[in-house]
Amino acid sequence: MALIVISVVSVLLCGLTALLCYLYVKRTYDAIDMVFDSMMAGKYDNLSETAKESRLSKLTHKAVRILKTSTMDIEKTRQEKEIIQRYISDMAHQMKTPLSSIAMYTDLLLEGNITEIERQEFLSRIKTGTEKLQWMMDCLVKISRLEAGVIELNPVPAKIKKTISDSINTVYMEASRKNISVKTAEFEDISLLHDRKWTSEAITNILDNAIKYSPPDSEIYISVETLPVYTKIIITDNGIGIYPDELNSIFKRFYRGRNAKDTDGVGLGLYLANLILQKQGGYIYADSRPGQYTTFSIFLQNCKK
Amino acid sequence: MPILSAQGLKKYYGEEPNIVRALDGVDLEVEAGEFVTVVGASGSGKSTLLHMLGGLDKPTEGKVTVDGHELDKMSDEELTIFRRRNVGFVFQSFNLVPILSVYENIVLPIELDGNRPDKAFIDEIIDLLGLKEKRNSLPNMLSGGQQQRVAIARALATKPSILLADEPTGNLDTKTSQDVLGVLKMTSAKFHQTIVMITHNEHIAQLSDRIVRIEDGKIVGEGRGINEK
Repeated sequence: MALIVISVVSVLLCGLTALLCYLYVKRTYDAIDMVFDSMMAGKYDNLSETAKESRLSKLTHKAVRILKTSTMDIEKTRQEKEIIQRYISDMAHQMKTPLSSIAMYTDLLLEGNITEIERQEFLSRIKTGTEKLQWMMDCLVKISRLEAGVIELNPVPAKIKKTISDSINTVYMEASRKNISVKTAEFEDISLLHDRKWTSEAITNILDNAIKYSPPDSEIYISVETLPVYTKIIITDNGIGIYPDELNSIFKRFYRGRNAKDTDGVGLGLYLANLILQKQGGYIYADSRPGQYTTFSIFLQNCKK
Repeated sequence: MPILSAQGLKKYYGEEPNIVRALDGVDLEVEAGEFVTVVGASGSGKSTLLHMLGGLDKPTEGKVTVDGHELDKMSDEELTIFRRRNVGFVFQSFNLVPILSVYENIVLPIELDGNRPDKAFIDEIIDLLGLKEKRNSLPNMLSGGQQQRVAIARALATKPSILLADEPTGNLDTKTSQDVLGVLKMTSAKFHQTIVMITHNEHIAQLSDRIVRIEDGKIVGEGRGINEK
């Protein structure tokens, strides 16, 4: 008798457990189903399930994350498209001036009826215009390749002294033409994570600027200082300087400082320098006092210990 | 859609006539992946703003939306969990647990949420922040800069929607500040991490994408950072 009761009870209990399990699973699936429904409808912003101490809440939270990430990617693509459009119009604008001056002087030369001095002058203006276009094209090709990831920077441990001296050698002629001396403070030659070719290009661009905006017979000073994570390369000139409200804008594409108007330039050098540093996990910033000095600090990562 | 937005945010303390208006109608929007600094003198309301943005304090008026969630609609318990999963905090004081190693400190918020840490990701952060050598050290063996880097790693470990930093370099000297800031910048770029940082230091602000100025509880202007598009 007792045996029968026990069997019946256990059968009942089993049945009950199975039923409860079924209900639990059904409820869970229903809940997941509902979460998916609201996601498909794009209403995942205020899902109440995302901030509770339950398994479902954690799952919902993760699912929402995945959705958000893909929405973000789409948004990013849209923004990039906008940037490219703006880029093209900036570029066209920048090319107009040198192109029209080349066209004008070529016309004047073709018309003839000019003195030899005028001829020389016009030819040299045409040369300046082409050089400007050439420099712009070179920069743009590099920028677009870097931005599109066609060129990948390869930051590896490499001694920094050689990188800096490569840059100084590149600008040497330009500097001596204005009798500007580029001085480097003594420092220990350490290995830093950087891509030598590109980093040297970034430093060259900054030195180029320093020379361009410095008075003749002045000095440009380079020093190196090591911090725990980064090493800082400091480049100081005694040139015309940059206004405080423009310190951040100077790294923007095609931006020219207010007091740089009298000097030739297109506004790509610093943009490229900043891009190169960012691509290898470094960074750059500027400090200046108009009429007194400008300091560019370049931060490169130390080798990991 | 901005990942973080504050609308008509007000925070008053006390009552008329001795009322203190710590925040007096602040509107702010931050896009995903943006690195924004809020600059203001002490007492300008910038810390109050950060506390509201992170759901650490409730505004008298106005609403804060983080990643589509309205913070004022949540119960205290929901808010605690929400913060744990979506908001990373870095403060001036590093707030590391002294008896836990660097690694244990970093994974603490993940374990608090009952999850297993993604080891590969944690190791990536540790490596990126230059803490590999110190992985098993206790906080008191570290310099200030290193401790702050551990705090940043901890804030990043949960892959939060937003990272809020209140004067993260306030206790550090100039050079260490530049170092720690570089680390913040690097993580912002690498993980597309949204960061809102409070500071009174203009030089530090310069390194962000966008600068928001606050005075007497109101936003008085915006400036661009180096990388603003």
